[in-house]
Amino acid sequence: MFSPTIDVLLIFALTTPLIGWLVERIRKVQLCGVYASIGLMISLWYIYELFGKVSSDGAQTFTSFFSSQLRIDLLGIFMATVFVLIGISASVYSLRYMERDTGIPLFYSLLLLMISGMVGTVFSGDFFTFFVFWEMMCISSYTLVAFRKQRWEPIEAAFKYLIMSSAGSATLLFGMSILYGICGTLNFQGLHIALSNVGSSVWLYVSAIFILIGLGVKSAIVPLHTWLPDAHSAAPSSISAMLSGVVVETGIYAICRVGFTVLSGIQSQWISVIAILSVLTMLVGNLTPLLQTDLKRLLAYSSIGHIGYMLAGIATGTALGLTGTLMHIFNHALMKGTAFLCAGVILYRLETRELKEMSGVGRRMPVTAITFIISLLALTGLPPLNGFVSEVTIVLATIEANMAWLGVAVIINSIISAAYYIRVIRTILQPVTQKKIEEVKEGPPIMLAVLCILSAMIIIFGIWPDALINFAKNAASVLLGG
Amino acid sequence: MIAPPHYLVFSFTLYMIGIYCLVTKRNMIRLLLGIEILINAANFNFISLASSIPGLIDPLALSIVTVSIGLAASVSAVAVIIIVYAYRHYGTLDVRMLKRLKG
Repeated sequence: MFSPTIDVLLIFALTTPLIGWLVERIRKVQLCGVYASIGLMISLWYIYELFGKVSSDGAQTFTSFFSSQLRIDLLGIFMATVFVLIGISASVYSLRYMERDTGIPLFYSLLLLMISGMVGTVFSGDFFTFFVFWEMMCISSYTLVAFRKQRWEPIEAAFKYLIMSSAGSATLLFGMSILYGICGTLNFQGLHIALSNVGSSVWLYVSAIFILIGLGVKSAIVPLHTWLPDAHSAAPSSISAMLSGVVVETGIYAICRVGFTVLSGIQSQWISVIAILSVLTMLVGNLTPLLQTDLKRLLAYSSIGHIGYMLAGIATGTALGLTGTLMHIFNHALMKGTAFLCAGVILYRLETRELKEMSGVGRRMPVTAITFIISLLALTGLPPLNGFVSEVTIVLATIEANMAWLGVAVIINSIISAAYYIRVIRTILQPVTQKKIEEVKEGPPIMLAVLCILSAMIIIFGIWPDALINFAKNAASVLLGG
Repeated sequence: MIAPPHYLVFSFTLYMIGIYCLVTKRNMIRLLLGIEILINAANFNFISLASSIPGLIDPLALSIVTVSIGLAASVSAVAVIIIVYAYRHYGTLDVRMLKRLKG
């Protein structure tokens, strides 16, 4: 119907509640989590097959019965790989993490729907399909944030998230309608051709403002970021890893795609706006966590800082800068995913998110502590780990594009960010003083296995980044060439 | 026939009414209505621009509007569920009471 990857994800999303109903009879609800993880792995296999086809024959086009159009190129494959990888780890991790909750089959169904929405967003070839999948991702993420409905915090965060994000979606739709009025089509390639014939007009600027505001709400660019810390800290930890690692990056992807294909006629104007916003985003994202005492809230604020680094890569507008941005999307998904999942293990055992109450927890949970420290050091940008590689690429790109002030801002901000990451490391490694901490045990083995695999990937992509650099470079050249 | 600029003025006004509603209203249901007004402004813009060429109505815009109405309905369904739970937790529909999250 759509491409095989999205079909598999949608079929598994629809059948998971059915399987859940069956396994609830034999009192083994966790089996539907296994079922959902298998579905994600099958879709990863289909992405690999598509990668073979796309790298030999160029972009693949699927036109389905619903006259929605999918156009799959290397950039789409790159992003979809990130989404499904983090999706598999979140889904396997939730097997134990969500065991105390009710409605597990619906949780997995919503998780699969969110991932298929994201994959559809990056595979779509026109604005209409893009918007439908975008809303699918948004609606399932509101529901997932509010999943633990018996507490007040997720409900309040989800309401704030819903109002801000759907106002953003409506603004995006309004911008799309103006663009449709100018060109009479919504196909990305068609818009590119039509706009290069029409030239820039006032209406193009108006629609660009509306579209960038709409995408900016979802990707948490600074004046529009206030929903992010609430929603990301109130959601269950595996969903926080998804939201912070990949959902926000879908917004960054959309800015790249729309900016460099549709709005390429007014590139110099929107790029200078993005450059200023990126510095603001970095500053807010790295100064506010210094004051936080809540671990998940601190991590959520620091993802705003990382969004700033990605915007700095986009603001250069060169192939090297986009390579850096795409690599940072991949690396940030790994690093922030691992950090949130580690915070989730501590939350699972201690049932607190306050930093004061977890002093010395690392001495009782050595594996969690080691993986957490690896991910935090990678987020700081320490050399042998993967965060360093992508940040250096972005800084080099800013120097190459004669925007060295942006590179200096990135460097200063990673120094500031070290202050709060190291404060977290110090807290969890202190000597144990509280009685509650002394009785804490190490997390369940399946969660630790996920953490170990993810942190091994952080080290591997830090030491041997060549394959990733090549993939990101090819994806960036697709974006700039088409 | 009314000229296209009039339609554009109307849809921009509708958009501004939606933003005004989101900024000033304190009731959760009214905020949801503000979102609906915003989406309808965009839908109206699509419909009015579809007939900008005389004698031809583009089916693409009409299909977009149909799908968009469905999406707006599902957003408001989720919103109403969240509002019901918020009412059970807080005992009020006033958003000013929903500010326990800080920092």
